Amino acid sequence: MSAAREGRVVAALGRRALTVQFRRAQLLMPTFVLPLMLLAVIASGTSAAQGLRGFPDVASYLGFVIPGTIVQGALLAGLTSGTAMAGDIEGGFFDRLLAAPVHRTSLVIGRLAGTLGLSVLQTSFFLCIGLAFGASYPGGPGAALAAIALAAITAVGIGGLAAAIALWTGSLSLLQSIFPFVFVLLFTAPAFFPRDLLTPALRSVAEYNPLTYVVEAVRGLLTGQEAIGDPLSGFGAAVLLALATTALATLALKERLRTA
Amino acid sequence: MKSFESSAPAVEVRELVREFKGGIRAVDGLDLDVAPGEIYGFLGPNGAGKTTSVRILTTLLRPTSGSARVAGHDVVAHADAVRRSIGVALQEAAIDPLMTGRELLRMQGALHGLRATDARDRAGQLLERVGLTQAADRRVGGYSGGMRRRLDLALALVHRPRVLFLDEPTTGLDPTSRGALWREVRSLNDDGTTVFLTTQYLEEAEQLADRVGIIAVGRLVAEGTPDALKARVGEPMLHVELAEPESAGRARDALAGLGSVEPPDPAAPTRVVLRTPAGKGAIAPVIRALDEHDVVVESVEVETPTLDDVFAAVTGSHLEGAAPVEAPA
Repeated sequence: MSAAREGRVVAALGRRALTVQFRRAQLLMPTFVLPLMLLAVIASGTSAAQGLRGFPDVASYLGFVIPGTIVQGALLAGLTSGTAMAGDIEGGFFDRLLAAPVHRTSLVIGRLAGTLGLSVLQTSFFLCIGLAFGASYPGGPGAALAAIALAAITAVGIGGLAAAIALWTGSLSLLQSIFPFVFVLLFTAPAFFPRDLLTPALRSVAEYNPLTYVVEAVRGLLTGQEAIGDPLSGFGAAVLLALATTALATLALKERLRTA
Repeated sequence: MKSFESSAPAVEVRELVREFKGGIRAVDGLDLDVAPGEIYGFLGPNGAGKTTSVRILTTLLRPTSGSARVAGHDVVAHADAVRRSIGVALQEAAIDPLMTGRELLRMQGALHGLRATDARDRAGQLLERVGLTQAADRRVGGYSGGMRRRLDLALALVHRPRVLFLDEPTTGLDPTSRGALWREVRSLNDDGTTVFLTTQYLEEAEQLADRVGIIAVGRLVAEGTPDALKARVGEPMLHVELAEPESAGRARDALAGLGSVEPPDPAAPTRVVLRTPAGKGAIAPVIRALDEHDVVVESVEVETPTLDDVFAAVTGSHLEGAAPVEAPA
């Protein structure tokens, strides 16, 4: 099987994942609308936090909290990747893919390619909405592009984990039931507040949450202040997460096929 | 990797077993061969092991033991080669309802290694072949059952497979849609495609299959051409209804040379039953012979053994949910 052929497979599966995503309203709601609703609540309700001692000196509060929205979006994009895969398994569509002469890993990567595309669109959308409501991104367009890439890699990382769960269990309802876990991951990272202002207990937990490094890196990129977040740490955490969970999903698929 | 030769069986199964959790054997020592270019009808009731067998042959399930080769390739050791050679339309057409027919065909083309332009052209050809050109850009969720089945068939044909697996392709379809699908299957077979068809419909097996394998509780219990299978359970019977009971003796004498006349039934004094391999072809000679013996005939009915009779003879129960019948003597 040539790389070009597998590339076509991945592209086709990614295109299909993205197409279906935009045709299913119940998937658009959590990925595009829900993060903006939370952003609206956070931005309007907690903006006084900007005056707290220890809060970084940033151009706009909205610009500070929007990385939390971006990471939330990445989490949800990744999770919908798993729910869509579980739906394919339950509905029998996955059998059609398995009956095709394609590398098994391409089936996982194709699904995650759709997640990557979704995250790029989602993050771009969030950044534009932020701009429209007065956020500023002193880091500039290059930094914004880097933030988009970072979010997309993170979405792939979460998508890999969700896909692995889908492949292990084949259960759509289980995937749907872990939806609240997204918020645990989000709020144990400094998504909307600086890490230094979190309680000591939460701060300790945040150190072990890879999303901490991602959200801080996005923030550092958009604000143009590396002191707020180190982009390298963020990319490192996201890439490691993506590689680990993609491998996990591939293993889950192989296990599923071995025990089928 | 062994190449597929036209003389090698398209499907070759030896002592195939598939056991599920709890020790349930869905397939229990299956042996069968399907010749290249043949339409093989795999007939059996729900739960007989048809779908499990097809899932093994299409590489979607691993056998517990035994072996299976499709298009010359082992389904476990050379699964990818099998996948390149086969087209699969599984039971309950699993088609994403949010995609259009054309999108699905193009995606299927990519899965089989076609470049974008080739996949687009092939999608157009297949949509035309299965009569879905007008509906090509509509979402599949709005298709009728027959349209979904035709699309499923088209999807299975994208890469021009040598062996086509159709798992209960017409279940739930109306007679018109069923007839259209049968025509398409025949046409594909005329083009040289080997077809492995599972069905629970007797008529479908009779109409389409060159040979039929009957499966019950995971085992092949009978196999042959539909005519040969039916001949096993007995010859066709002509039920001749006479106008007058007094002419029954003359009628028996008249028909003696045309087949085997059943003993008289006191409960039906005006009926004479003749067993003859000629079946419908014996009607004219029977009428002539009776006329020559001045026997007035009310009616003649032909009763031909069905595959259900074959199924009942080998398993003791009817195929389509009928009550159990007495086991053959």
